Amino acid sequence: MKKNRWKIILIIISIVATLWYLYPTYKDINYQKKLSELRGEDSLKFVQQHIDDIQKVKQKRIKLGLDLQGGMYVALEVDIVKMLDNLAKNKDETFRQILAEVKKKAVVSQEPITSILLREFQSRGIRLSRYYGDIRQSDSEIISELEKQAEDAVDRALEVIRNRVDKYGVAEPSIQKQGSNRIVVELPGVKERGEVRQLLQSTAVLEFKLLKPADIAIKVMQTIDNYLAGKGVVDTTDTLRTTASSDTTKKDTVKTIASELGADTTAGLSEFERFKKEHPFFAYVRVDEQTGIGFVLARDKKMVEYILSRPDVVNLIPPDFEFVWSAKPFTAQDGNQYYNLLAVKKDPEITGKVITEARATIDPDNNAPIVIMRMNSEGAREWARITGANINKHIAIILDGTAYSWPVVRTKIIGGSSQIEGLDSPEEARLLEVVLKAGALPAPLEIVEERTVGPSLGEDSIQKGLKAALLSFIVIVLFMVIYYSTGGFIANLALVLNIAFILAVLAGFNATLTLPGIAGIVLTIGVAVDANVLIYERIREELAIGRTLRSAIDEGYSKAFSAIFDANITTFLTGLILYNFGSGPIQGFALTLMIGIIANLFSAVFITKVIYDIIAEKYPQIVKFG
Amino acid sequence: MRFIGKTNIKFIEKRRIWYAVSLIFILAGLISLIFRGIPLGIDFLGGTEVVVRFEKPVSIGDVRSAIAQIGLAKSEIKTYGTHNEILIRTSEQMEGTKIGEMILSALQSKFRDNKVEVLNEEKVGPRIGAELRRKAFYTVILSLIVMLVYIGLRFKPIYGVGAVVALFHDVLITLGFCSIFSSVSYFNIEMNQSLLAAILTLVGLSVNDTVVVFDRIRENLKLHKSMDFISLVNKSINETLSRTIITSGTVIVVLIILLIVGSEITRGFAFALTIGMITGTYSSIYVASSLVVDITLSRQKREEKKKLLKKQPVMTK
Repeated sequence: MKKNRWKIILIIISIVATLWYLYPTYKDINYQKKLSELRGEDSLKFVQQHIDDIQKVKQKRIKLGLDLQGGMYVALEVDIVKMLDNLAKNKDETFRQILAEVKKKAVVSQEPITSILLREFQSRGIRLSRYYGDIRQSDSEIISELEKQAEDAVDRALEVIRNRVDKYGVAEPSIQKQGSNRIVVELPGVKERGEVRQLLQSTAVLEFKLLKPADIAIKVMQTIDNYLAGKGVVDTTDTLRTTASSDTTKKDTVKTIASELGADTTAGLSEFERFKKEHPFFAYVRVDEQTGIGFVLARDKKMVEYILSRPDVVNLIPPDFEFVWSAKPFTAQDGNQYYNLLAVKKDPEITGKVITEARATIDPDNNAPIVIMRMNSEGAREWARITGANINKHIAIILDGTAYSWPVVRTKIIGGSSQIEGLDSPEEARLLEVVLKAGALPAPLEIVEERTVGPSLGEDSIQKGLKAALLSFIVIVLFMVIYYSTGGFIANLALVLNIAFILAVLAGFNATLTLPGIAGIVLTIGVAVDANVLIYERIREELAIGRTLRSAIDEGYSKAFSAIFDANITTFLTGLILYNFGSGPIQGFALTLMIGIIANLFSAVFITKVIYDIIAEKYPQIVKFG
Repeated sequence: MRFIGKTNIKFIEKRRIWYAVSLIFILAGLISLIFRGIPLGIDFLGGTEVVVRFEKPVSIGDVRSAIAQIGLAKSEIKTYGTHNEILIRTSEQMEGTKIGEMILSALQSKFRDNKVEVLNEEKVGPRIGAELRRKAFYTVILSLIVMLVYIGLRFKPIYGVGAVVALFHDVLITLGFCSIFSSVSYFNIEMNQSLLAAILTLVGLSVNDTVVVFDRIRENLKLHKSMDFISLVNKSINETLSRTIITSGTVIVVLIILLIVGSEITRGFAFALTIGMITGTYSSIYVASSLVVDITLSRQKREEKKKLLKKQPVMTK
């Protein structure tokens, strides 16, 4: 017992850790169940009450792959051939011939398209500067410039897609850059394929809109607030309202007692409840009276969005008036995340098409990050008029309906070159550069891979996968008990731990469970008992040649170990190779396979040995190997 | 309980017969692979694949005529799972995702009183398909080399050779069976990423049995120094037979459950792996161990010859 103390502690720690990692998954499943029972505003309310916890468990639970929960997987690539076509100047017949050749070769080659282009030019003895860049630039300079253009296009598209997907409201989207010119988007639960394609591929719209004067913005918000308060409370469900109001009265009595006792926290809460009843809109939206800009807690954003989308509320908003959200939340001094709600004039002053250049840089005078923006001559003329007429007013830079910045106009800007100052960080400047350029897309994106799994197929796959796992489990468990008696029982214990470990590690590493992943678990159920079979068969042999139980167990474990180790290592190595080859689902399989092997060595060899050390000493009569 | 007690089967003595059996299976598989092949899945081929579910059962012919109207007569059309579910695949490449939309609207106009729902839609561009094909090939080769090196280092180089030839044998027979059974639509076999995953897993798992036997040979070599090699290998195989059968048995049972109960999507995977496990168990005895015996014996013979040569008197002037 004593010599195993540290081993036992290790085992207990690992089991506790397993439960700790699996708990969020269990809780999330419970929340989902609860949410599916609620409707409309009730569910919004429930989400709002538990928002922190719901988000926490969502992040920590075992993620399901797209093949299990349904959704879309889209890989986009910058259409470089098209970009080359768009960027070239003085295009002639030779150029078109070369480009056609490049296009043909690009399909079958693994090489970067720019190098194919370069070779085509060189083989014809033409310099790239004939069509691109500057006459003094060398071929390699132009190539690296073109590559930079392609990469910029990817960054731009990344921001545009992020912004749109956020607005579209997908639950847990994943948008990633893969390599230098591929974007992989995963949208769980999405069914509208057409809409998503539109979302990912259509050209971005960049607009400059004037902020409404503060007094008008506040007046409109007040109208909404009054209307909502007059009609009752935000929620329309009668039962909920009555319970809510009775709650308030109860809290009021509590408050009087509590305030006498000096307990401020409860008082604050019920004060808010009362404020919320009188000002259902301003309870969520705090307004800066100077600018008329609203501040909304990140967790309240959905609620406010919902209020603003109600048809009766929409009717209260003047026709030339529009609410837009800021693109990213910011962290205020109170430590909370806030979004800004801006009231803008609906018609844009000017669109982003006139922008010829945008560059994030550093102001040499004070080292502050700034963005320089240039417009074409037509835009510059318009811009001078707009800025001249709106000095000291805010103009919001809006991409696809969300505002990225709303600088104040200081002077009339003549000549089309503007400078945006007062940015918090170089990152913010860089983001603004990307946004300002997004209106013009020299390099369109094309969908190179798309996979959609309908939710019913995913559901079906989970059901069948779980059924296969359960049935395999039962068959193996029964077999082990029948064949190895109490030894089988202990092996089964190890098997249960093994499966729990796999799931916990998946949750802990934020990995994704896919359908092949489930197949991997089923396979693990079959393979996991191998180690125990090897050991038990060996113990039987040792018992047969007349060893005592204790020494047969020790011999069995030590002699079987080399075979178990080698066998597991070889499987692990193939898992590793597979992981590096595969995409999404297959990686999921390789991952469960590899985790399963390590978990197996721990549970089937290490843990069972400790168990035998204990019970073979204390209760040798129950130790049997069939 | 015990299935197999002490056995004394003369495995190695009969190895020539089983070499022949293996060769026949491999040849049959190769012929099928050459003439029929394994249909390439969308992952490797590129193109568009749509799985739709109709409310009421439909005939393949009707679907085909609807698809032919939009100029995709060459598409592959088959039932998928139940008779309401149809898979349509075309290698036609078109900009964006137009093909999927075309197929859906063609089906909707043909079957007006039968609701169509898209279960699954995949589009893989030609560049990606080619990229995957190349990677898949290298991956399998890489895994075999890794096994060769690992077993060679852990045991002796000739054991590595025996194990890898056995693995190659398993992979060939499995691919052969997949090709032969690819016409049975139930198994849903096609050359895609999950079949490749099955092949690689098979490489990892099938080497397990081989390792167990080799491990016992290594142990017995130390214990019985005077025993002749054939009997020693035979003894090792017989001693490990029970565990070989049980460990493979549990895996095979689980795979058959996955094949029958599991999702259609993992069926091809389960089929390939089932075949692979069966041949893997067989090959650990009749290919890996037998080859090690043959290589060792021929080496011994060569060395004896050398010794004999040395003993001959040398003419000197």
